[in-house]
Amino acid sequence: MGREDFVKWAEKEFDIKKVFEKPEALEGIVVIEFCTLILGPATPSYLSEFGATIIKLELPGMGDTMRSLTPWGRFPPDGAHAMGYLKESRNKYSVGIDLHHPEAKEVFKRLIKRADVFIENLRAGTLDRWGIGYRDLVEINPRLIYIANNGFGQWGPYVERPSYDAIAQSESGIAWITGFPNELPLKAGIWLADYYGALVSAVAVLAALYWRNRTGEGQYIEFSQAENMIRALDWTWIYQCLTGKGRERYGNRDVAICPSDVFVSKDKEYVAIGCATDEEFKGLCKAMGRTDLAEDPRFSTHLERLKPENQEALYPIIKEWVANTSWPEIDKLASQYGFGAEKVHCAKDMYTDPHFEVRGFKWTVDDPVSGKVVVEGIAPKLNKTPGRIKWIGRPVGVDTYYVLTKYADLTWKEIRELEEKGVIGSKWKDMPGRRPPKTWDGQSGIVYP
Amino acid sequence: MSLSEEKIVGMAINKEYAKFTYSITNPDDVFRKPEALDDVVVLDLSYGNFAGLFASSLLAEAGAEVIRIEPPGGDIARKMSPYGIMIKDAGLPYIVEGRNKFHITLDITKEEGKEIFKKLVKKADVIIETFRPGYMASLGLGYEDLKKIKEDIIYCAISSWGHFGCEAEKHANQPSYDLTDQAKGVIMSITGEPELDPEVPQEYKKPLKSGNWMGWYVGGAFATLGITLALFYRRRTRKGQFIDCAPCEGLFSIANYLFQFYHMTGRKMIRAGNYDYAVFPYSYFKCKDGYTFISGFTDPNWSALCEIMGREDLRQMFPTIKERLTPENQPKIQHEIEKWSSSYTSDEILQIVTEYSRRPDRKGVVVTGRLEEPIDVLKREHWHIRKTFVEIDDPYYGKVLVQNSSLKGMSETPGRIKWVCRPIGADNEFIFKKYLGMGRTDLKKLKSKGVI
Repeated sequence: MGREDFVKWAEKEFDIKKVFEKPEALEGIVVIEFCTLILGPATPSYLSEFGATIIKLELPGMGDTMRSLTPWGRFPPDGAHAMGYLKESRNKYSVGIDLHHPEAKEVFKRLIKRADVFIENLRAGTLDRWGIGYRDLVEINPRLIYIANNGFGQWGPYVERPSYDAIAQSESGIAWITGFPNELPLKAGIWLADYYGALVSAVAVLAALYWRNRTGEGQYIEFSQAENMIRALDWTWIYQCLTGKGRERYGNRDVAICPSDVFVSKDKEYVAIGCATDEEFKGLCKAMGRTDLAEDPRFSTHLERLKPENQEALYPIIKEWVANTSWPEIDKLASQYGFGAEKVHCAKDMYTDPHFEVRGFKWTVDDPVSGKVVVEGIAPKLNKTPGRIKWIGRPVGVDTYYVLTKYADLTWKEIRELEEKGVIGSKWKDMPGRRPPKTWDGQSGIVYP
Repeated sequence: MSLSEEKIVGMAINKEYAKFTYSITNPDDVFRKPEALDDVVVLDLSYGNFAGLFASSLLAEAGAEVIRIEPPGGDIARKMSPYGIMIKDAGLPYIVEGRNKFHITLDITKEEGKEIFKKLVKKADVIIETFRPGYMASLGLGYEDLKKIKEDIIYCAISSWGHFGCEAEKHANQPSYDLTDQAKGVIMSITGEPELDPEVPQEYKKPLKSGNWMGWYVGGAFATLGITLALFYRRRTRKGQFIDCAPCEGLFSIANYLFQFYHMTGRKMIRAGNYDYAVFPYSYFKCKDGYTFISGFTDPNWSALCEIMGREDLRQMFPTIKERLTPENQPKIQHEIEKWSSSYTSDEILQIVTEYSRRPDRKGVVVTGRLEEPIDVLKREHWHIRKTFVEIDDPYYGKVLVQNSSLKGMSETPGRIKWVCRPIGADNEFIFKKYLGMGRTDLKKLKSKGVI
């Protein structure tokens, strides 16, 4: 198969119109989530995209605090969803339950009996204090996979130190190495340690599910987002240990690959250029009309180019070339000569690129409660069990009756009694982020009764 | 317990629980426990790409037998190292991501190399590759070809632009790097010095990459998510599959609400530096030993912060979120908080905040933590006790210190590091014997032909 045929084959294989005809990898897996903000709730979001049933337990009425997190107080569509919450609420069921209540704990334990995975991101030891920690739950369900995500882990000198994304970014050292030399360290413009932490935590859950499938054994997992950031700092630690020097900030330059930096083009785009192999570098030299550089002993091999003095000598040449060349020209030359080049994309560039529509990364959901909404799609693409977005989010507690009837073996009478006592709650507060949009017909999207 | 109890329970309020979780996730017990994926064989063909290498690292930490296949001259990734620092045949990042992997050489462009590769595929469960879209298919080694040899193979391909879509064709001749992934992944466009701050020189008001290889790490983690999903599905159904992973999609999918924001407003987000325009105070503040993070956003938490600082007047001056989020007020508040914070070290502030958090009459929660230099991260006792770093004395590469597995906190099947790296082709003899029955004479022949 030639390259072009391959790309066509892949496009057919991943046809987004066929997604719902295909099976789901995690079908039948039940995950109970008792989490707030991002680090906790995002882990089950990844699992939900691939078919796991996620039951999100929230405080009746108000629900997760994350339901308020949105820029400029906007809740699209029509007052329904906080933008910050939208991406982690997909495919989940919402159950209103107040776990402080003794009767709620009994309902919770019934759910745990049926669960494969339980995930929480409370302060270390909180649920244990409430009598529903791992030690209690494993008695009820020995096959349970229990994962606790937090900042610093579940034991050690800093256990119970509250943590935010920004704490994990600063204490891991990633903020320190991000920024321009001689300027202040900077954290990422996103909640990086939260989302990336939740992602690797989902990998841990899958490894545990795989193990359980082999042996029948469940397990306990403690996951620290700060440690996970430390893990991602590539050569920082080995470099410091070998040289005794601290790692500093290098702006957009990658001091381990040369050339690899961001330059400003003639048409004022920020352009990233990178090549490591000597062949790619030759390609760049040809594009620049400077084949002599590829022969220059200072630049002819990657290890030579990486020497600090040679990096200093090479970068001004590339900078000048980029400054006199427009981005479309560079893009064309990069493709022709085979070196790495990409302009810095903003959300608009990505959003309007037909490439991502073909790939299903720009995904339109026809949501039963909220109507048509466009959201970001799913990153890993699996051809036999592709991920999918079924609905974008649910009003607080809307699935309480359905979930408790199906998974907790409660009678309708018991459910009504519990609701009257305020133990559970199927009604949302009439507030943005908690309620359905005003256009909702009062019926569609309700599973039971 | 081998560690003193005081260190294990630390600042815990629920000390019993801390002791219990330590007892089931104690890092000293790791090698007495089994590995989750030790029935999985992975062939990692990554070339010049740490997204692929990190994906196979995660699997190797969880116990998979990862066989790195390099061309006879070695992977160019070995030569990606800060300022070209090498330990023998490997740069520093390669040593970090060489963990637990066997290293063989094979020229898959040669006929004989292809045949050997196909024989290995018969014994494998997962293939990872980072070549340009369609390259493997053009060698006759694409997913469709390999599926004929091993029906349930899981094949994961990682590339900047993905393996289908208009850009995949357009860029089919180009390599992918962390920087190009980050450039395309949008996060970079909103990371950097604050655009609205008049004190920041104009030349610094531009997009900024994450200091580490965040594009590669995010891309690799999403690839592993796909692979572990596929492995789980395969155990249930005996079906393999093809996985396409584009790191830029991974980055954009974790980029807060940027997608929604553009969708709704059609506008660009601006760079906020260390501020979060939706949450304040939630930033870094000057202290005696540099900078420390301090937050007190909601009304109760703001009251708590003002009480800690002994500044009831500040609380009255900026009583609600609205006043605190007003752009003109933020520098004023920053200045007032720094009047207090700059007379303490970050550790002193942490202590003050922690003591306050234990008061029964506390008004809210204040969160703090130092903007740490990486050189100081290595000195923190917390990481030391939790074995966040491990020192390994390798027979070939010598004594090195590397970051431990993120999966080390699994009670039954903890992630671990068995060895750091192996020289080019060091495991040819073992792997070719184990899987293909080849001996010394066969290998000699292949070597003379340049196949291995």
